[in-house]
Amino acid sequence: MSDSDAALVARTLGGDLTAYAGLMARYRDRFGRYAFHMLGNREDAQEALQDSFVRAYRSLASCRQPERFGAWLFRIVVNRCRTVRRRLQRDRRFDADLPDDVPSMGERPDAFEWRDEIGQALDQLRPHYREAFLLRYVEGLEYAEMAEMTGAKEPALRMRVKRASDQLKELLRDVHVR
Amino acid sequence: MSVAWWLVFSVFLALPPTAWAQDERLTERLNPATASQVQQVVDSARRGGLPGEPLVQKALEGATLGASDDRIVAAVQSLHGQLRRAREALGGQASDAELTAAAGALRAGLEPSALRRLQSLRPDQPLVIPIAVLTDLVAEGVPPAEATRSVLDLARDGRPDDEFVALRRQGRAAGAEPMGRPALRPAADPPVDQ
Amino acid sequence: MSMSAEHDDALDDEVLRQVVGELRKPVRLDPSLDRRALDRIQAESHRIAPPASRRWGIWIAGAAVAAGVLLAVTLPDRGTTPARASAVALEQAALAGDARPVRLRLAAPTSSRVAVVGDFNDWDPAATPLRRAGDGGTWIVELRLKPGRYHYTFLIDGRRWARDPNSPPAAESDFGAPVSVLTVS
Repeated sequence: MSDSDAALVARTLGGDLTAYAGLMARYRDRFGRYAFHMLGNREDAQEALQDSFVRAYRSLASCRQPERFGAWLFRIVVNRCRTVRRRLQRDRRFDADLPDDVPSMGERPDAFEWRDEIGQALDQLRPHYREAFLLRYVEGLEYAEMAEMTGAKEPALRMRVKRASDQLKELLRDVHVR
Repeated sequence: MSVAWWLVFSVFLALPPTAWAQDERLTERLNPATASQVQQVVDSARRGGLPGEPLVQKALEGATLGASDDRIVAAVQSLHGQLRRAREALGGQASDAELTAAAGALRAGLEPSALRRLQSLRPDQPLVIPIAVLTDLVAEGVPPAEATRSVLDLARDGRPDDEFVALRRQGRAAGAEPMGRPALRPAADPPVDQ
Repeated sequence: MSMSAEHDDALDDEVLRQVVGELRKPVRLDPSLDRRALDRIQAESHRIAPPASRRWGIWIAGAAVAAGVLLAVTLPDRGTTPARASAVALEQAALAGDARPVRLRLAAPTSSRVAVVGDFNDWDPAATPLRRAGDGGTWIVELRLKPGRYHYTFLIDGRRWARDPNSPPAAESDFGAPVSVLTVS
């Protein structure tokens, strides 16, 4: 299926759900990756992405530039991730002490350790810094696009990306040198 | 017209995306030679009408737990064998979930005859829960003969799944102690056969 | 939408290049995600009656019954308009027959992170971290699992494997690690 986004949007609005299935298939991997790195786990990422697909469908008639459906959908995904993240933060509580019996095992493959460390480091960034870093370097957006997507101004976004980069370098330099 | 296409598409969506193709998860997580060997076992299982997913998961388990390639392949081949024997015991109508559970039971050292007996006592109901409970009891230290007897008793009495689950809780509480008859059994009963 | 980052100072840094390289790798998600979204959309279409819905009417009514079995769980903080509330109720009622909520918990007060790996997430240590819960050193996670048997284990601080004391052990360990078994009915 090599129909353009605009064509698939038009068909969806005409009642053809297979066209919408095509749009979802087109963007799920990429936006799923973003949601995963933003939220830190697969369950929440899947939920956020699924919610985004449903919301996008409901408001599809308000997508004014159907040829840029991807960007429009991505904005919904970014916002959905913010909402899910806020809910996760609220649910987190911290406390202490219980018995712990945890036997040790052997070595683990290093590949997972590195990915794990990256995930941990990302988790320590402030959400807006993490978001800006992912949009800029992983999703490859221009600052103008990021501004449109997040509602923040370009200078602020540049600052967030810089801070995120500095923090990640700091957190991961020692790990990586191993 | 679009209704018909939608139905076709729904069927397509319902198919597992990696059926019969090289499973990407294997190539991502294992070295190429090992991925290829595992894929061959998976394909062979599927050609024989056995579920392939438990074999893929076994390989991924080994990959994550840092096992050597030889050990991963051996574990996958071993599970394939257990699935085959599970199908021999339960027959061609057994579901994938039942076969997987039965393979686990055989792995735990339970006898195919116990599984066949269980099936004959519960011919019209799914067997996953009773087989799972049987396996778990043995894993918790209950002697296989004792565990088998208790589970077959419940099956013979036509008890529902949650009573099997309750049996497992009793078994866990008892640890490796021989299990008494569950309180559910009527006072006078014919001798248990195994 | 542009797909490539313009050359930027920060990517001159070797560490960041490696990080970005890793983050750009594909992330595996549940392949039924799309279908579940479509099922929700269909269920809502049945109520909201989209513009070109006439010819879909009968089919949607029938499919809503079948699709109902495939709908995913919704969470309590959704909107509460009457239409949404009944859509939520439909989804929750339809949950039986497909994925069930399962909560895993582990007491590990001195640990800084805990994840679970198992048959339900392709044994991927990055897929399912646990979070600390309110009652002191307990880590929990909620999963949605279809009926079946799942082998799994916990990964503590990225270094050690731990069985789930609340579940039976796997009868045999193929790889020498402590593994638990979960049965979802």
